[in-house]
Amino acid sequence: MEETAAAQPQPAQPQPAQPQPAQPQPAQRQLVVWRGDQMPVQHNIPGPGDLRDDTNTGRVLVGSLIRAQLGLSLMCLMLALAVTVSFPLVAALVPAIGRTTVAGIPVTLIVLGFAFYPVFLAVGWFYHRQARQLEARFIHLVDPPVTDPDD
Amino acid sequence: MTDASIGAIAFVTLLTIVVGARGIRVARTPDDFMVAARQVPPGINAAAISGEYLSAASFLGIAGLIVSQGLGSLWYSVGYTAGYLVLLLLVAAPLRRFGAYTIPDFADGRLGSKGLRQAATALVLVIGWFYLLPQMKGAGITLQWVLGTPYWVGVVALGVVVSGNIAMGGMKGITFVQCFQYWLKLCAIGIPALVLLIATGHDSARNLQPDRAPVFTQATVVQVSQATDFTLTRPVRATVSGLIDQREYRHQTVPLCACRHAAGAGTQIGFAAGSPVPTSLAMAPAPGVSWDSPLSAAGTDGAHPLASTYGIIIATFFGAVGLPHILVRFYTNPDGEAARRTTLIVVLMLSTFYMFPALLAVLTRLHAPQLYLAGDPDDVILALPSLLLPGLPGALLASLVAAGAFAAFLSTSSGLLVSVAGALSHDFMNRGVTSFRWCAIAAGAVATTASLLIGRFSLALLVGWAFAIAASSFCPLLVLGIWWRQLTRAGAAAGIVVGGGACLTAIVASMVGAATSGWSAVLLGQPAIWTVPLAFGVMIVTSLLTQRTLPGDVGQVMLRMHLPEALSRPDYRSLPLERARRSTGR
Repeated sequence: MEETAAAQPQPAQPQPAQPQPAQPQPAQRQLVVWRGDQMPVQHNIPGPGDLRDDTNTGRVLVGSLIRAQLGLSLMCLMLALAVTVSFPLVAALVPAIGRTTVAGIPVTLIVLGFAFYPVFLAVGWFYHRQARQLEARFIHLVDPPVTDPDD
Repeated sequence: MTDASIGAIAFVTLLTIVVGARGIRVARTPDDFMVAARQVPPGINAAAISGEYLSAASFLGIAGLIVSQGLGSLWYSVGYTAGYLVLLLLVAAPLRRFGAYTIPDFADGRLGSKGLRQAATALVLVIGWFYLLPQMKGAGITLQWVLGTPYWVGVVALGVVVSGNIAMGGMKGITFVQCFQYWLKLCAIGIPALVLLIATGHDSARNLQPDRAPVFTQATVVQVSQATDFTLTRPVRATVSGLIDQREYRHQTVPLCACRHAAGAGTQIGFAAGSPVPTSLAMAPAPGVSWDSPLSAAGTDGAHPLASTYGIIIATFFGAVGLPHILVRFYTNPDGEAARRTTLIVVLMLSTFYMFPALLAVLTRLHAPQLYLAGDPDDVILALPSLLLPGLPGALLASLVAAGAFAAFLSTSSGLLVSVAGALSHDFMNRGVTSFRWCAIAAGAVATTASLLIGRFSLALLVGWAFAIAASSFCPLLVLGIWWRQLTRAGAAAGIVVGGGACLTAIVASMVGAATSGWSAVLLGQPAIWTVPLAFGVMIVTSLLTQRTLPGDVGQVMLRMHLPEALSRPDYRSLPLERARRSTGR
């Protein structure tokens, strides 16, 4: 299996197709393993190094992550605000809503006292899950998992 | 009742001091904190945040405000919870990844400006002091209720205990103390609420019916403890023993008109079932807003309730993000992902807690309407258990409530005073332990003195104002600082100075009674409705005008805030990839 591991693509390194020795010495002659089912590896695949070195590619990557995160946050915020903040306006436009009772309990009490909290929790839980997946996808994009070419 | 309550309060205070003192740590450096607390699991951390957050306003203020002003005041508890949802969505993970320890640290680290840092520190002091006032007031009225001491005794007692404790080195970043405080507060409000709900049943929902003034559901004798002016909605015949409207009666039936009356201290008034409930001036609702309306006109004397409600909503939804004593707690999360999980648990814990003040307020209106004669709406929750459940059980519940209230004042004011004293000594004095101690004592003395002047304002209103200042200054700083690359030093400084300054000016003007009617009352009494957009606007426009001063390292700073830890660790390559994936949930 030594040979296979050496042939795996190493996207972050500048010369990805080289075999494993950490300090490649260009003067030496090297054995390059080549098999038909393997694509040649591009030299400029974006990787974590781009993020650290603040290259243009890195900036584009971080920008896309920040925009995706902000989009998700704003969407969840709008959802929570739409449910809660519309209530006073609706009640001011239709005063009858404020006077309705359900089984002797005012609707205002049910909505403001109890009903909004599950909404906050649901939005928060949804956001937490989505944000986690978004970050996992970003890690996957920047630093793809090493796949076994024999699969 | 008194003995049990004194015992309970003394127990809570001693326990807080002792548990806090066990972890005496004089230096308050980020590294110190890190070593001690980085490994705190999210559940404990969330309880600690909630424990520090739930203050006098949450414990006594909201329920009192609901009883006196109506269900619209529930917006305060909704907003205090929603504040953490906003924090989760916009701030939690990036702030943790950035690693700032206080808001001035964030301002300095994000934009690299000492002037901005000092402006932020000044605002920490303003918000911290504003938030300390209601805690001190809460202690004043609680001791007044339990011991019968004058208002100032409780204020001074809390000031001395808290600043002394902090100056001696206790209560510093002790996550466990704050965690314990949350569960204590939850029990102290949850158990009485549930016991009273079961004990009273739900037989009479009459006082919840729309557009009805509350009535006595059974014949009730009301004991007026101190001289009180009250009004009646309908004329009524009552049995009076004592002084009323300057005339002495001895168990006589007196016709009382639907107007204003003055009852002397110690007067007993007997009302028949179905009589309208007398309302003291302190408990009088704002005109124009019915009790069951979802709008609140608290602090604005009934003018434009819709605008006033949106003022409360904006202040509370966006204020929690900018509270100076909360940010510190996010540092104890191991990474951004854990910060999110912690915040989500905080939302759950606050949601659980905030159902109970609403329940207690409704029980008061249903079964103990004589509390509409109370001298201060913030007393209502303290008085309720012994009225509904006579004898020992009621006394025990009352002492539990008093102890929980004291826990609320202690934990919140300790957290605030540590932040205020830390900011004072770190940015305005020579840093060091001695300086920190003197700053704690000085800051405590200032808050105590100021609290003696604000006795007539509702706790929930005062805390709402502290939120309004935070929402108009630190909220835009954090939100734009985290998400907007083009924020500049000048923009941030202009935004927090203009927004925070405008909000503070409006609130002080409202407190001294500069406007009591119409739009000016709303714009001064609930200023967040215009100062929050103003702060965002000033920050954005000034930043766009000063783009040439954009810090050169802004790319690296943004990276630090937003990159998942799995990628940003310097040794990430040597980490097994599987472990990196697991930490982000794959």
